[in-house]
Amino acid sequence: MSRAWEVFARQSYEEPLHHVGAVREDDEELALVSARSIYDEQPWIEMIIVPRDEVREAISA
Amino acid sequence: MGDYKLTLVSQVSYVEADIEQLAQRTEDEVREHLAAGKLVEGLEHMSPEYLRGIRRILTVSADTEWVSAPSYLRAAQHAPALNNFGSAMSIIQDELAHAHIAFRLLGDCGVDMDWLMYERPAEEFKYPYAFDVPLNSWVELVCANALYDQAGFVLLSDIHQSSTFGPWKRALKKVDKEETFHLRHGRTWIKKLVAEPEGKAEVQAAVDWMFILTLEWFGLPDTRKRHGIQLEYGFKGKTNDELRQDWMRAVVPFMEEVGIQVPAHLDEDTDTYVIDCPFPARFDPEKREWDLSVGPVSWDEVLDRWKGRGEMNSVYVRTMQRGYQEAHVG
Repeated sequence: MSRAWEVFARQSYEEPLHHVGAVREDDEELALVSARSIYDEQPWIEMIIVPRDEVREAISA
Repeated sequence: MGDYKLTLVSQVSYVEADIEQLAQRTEDEVREHLAAGKLVEGLEHMSPEYLRGIRRILTVSADTEWVSAPSYLRAAQHAPALNNFGSAMSIIQDELAHAHIAFRLLGDCGVDMDWLMYERPAEEFKYPYAFDVPLNSWVELVCANALYDQAGFVLLSDIHQSSTFGPWKRALKKVDKEETFHLRHGRTWIKKLVAEPEGKAEVQAAVDWMFILTLEWFGLPDTRKRHGIQLEYGFKGKTNDELRQDWMRAVVPFMEEVGIQVPAHLDEDTDTYVIDCPFPARFDPEKREWDLSVGPVSWDEVLDRWKGRGEMNSVYVRTMQRGYQEAHVG
C-alpha cells in the first residue's frame, strides 16, 4: 500500500492548522495534488501534508 | 494518528492470520482501554475482535455513502432546472467525501482501498437494499433525501455520539452537518411539491414504496439480532429497533405536517412509534410495490431478497468502477 500523508489545513488567519484527513500516494508531488483535490470543499488559506511515518509521539493517546 | 503498522495487503486483507497480526492487543486490553474512557486511535489499540467489528461497520457506512452517489446522479438528470442540478451535484459530492472518510479509515485498518472501491465484485458491497431499487425522477430523488438521508443521519449521529473509534468519531462532526443540508433539501422540495395536487400525488407514490424500504434499512429487530460486541465495544450506541424509532420520530411528524400518508403513528401512551402495515413485508422490485395482502412475511424471506440484490447493484458499481477498470485493466 502507498505511503500515508496526514493533511492539515485552516480557513482563516486566526485559526490554527487542524487535521482534515489523509491521502495515500508513493510520491510527494502526487500527495500534494491529491490533498489539494480531495480536500477542496473549503476555501483554505493554508494546507500542509506530513508523511505519517515521520510523526513521533511524545505522549501516546 | 500514531504508529500505524501498515502491511501490504490486497484481497488477503480478510484472511484471519492478517487480522491477528495487525491487531495485537488482547480483548481484555481493549476492554480496559475503553473502561478508562479512552478512544481507540488505530491498529495499535485494537484486538482482532475490535478490528473485525470496526471493519464491518465502516464497510457498511462507506458502501452506503458510495452507492448513493451513482443512484442520486442518475436521478439528478431529471432536475427541473440547472441550479437544481447544481444542488444535487453538491449533495453527491458530499456523499463521496463521506465515503472517502470511511474508506480511508478502512485503509488505516489494513484493508486495500483500491480493492474495496474499484476491484470488489458488485454483490460484495454491503449497502442497504433500498439502493438496489432505482430512483427514476426528481421527485424520487428529493424523497430519498428526506427518507434515506434521514436514515443515514440517524445511524451516523449515533456513531458520532457513541463510537469508540476516535478518528471516525471526530470526522463525523462534519458529516452530520452536511447530512442536515441534504435533509433540508429533501424537505424543502417536498413542501413545495405538495402545494400542487399533481406534485402531492407523486410524492405520495414515491413515499409509498420508499417508506417501508427505509424501515428495513435498520436491519433485523432486536429480538432476532444480538448486538453484544457491537454495543460493548462501542461500534454503535443504539440497537436496530431504537434507531428505527429515531428515524420514525423524525420522519412521521414531517409527513403528517405535509399531508403525506405513511403507515406508522405515534402511540402516545408509550411514546413509541407503531408500524401500521404488515412488517416485514413482501416487495415486488419490478413494480416497486409492496404486497401487503399476504400479511407480514418472515425475516428470512427479506434476507433472501437482500442477498439476491436488485437490478441497480451491478449498474451502480460498474458506473463507479469504470474509470479505474479502464485505466488498470485496459
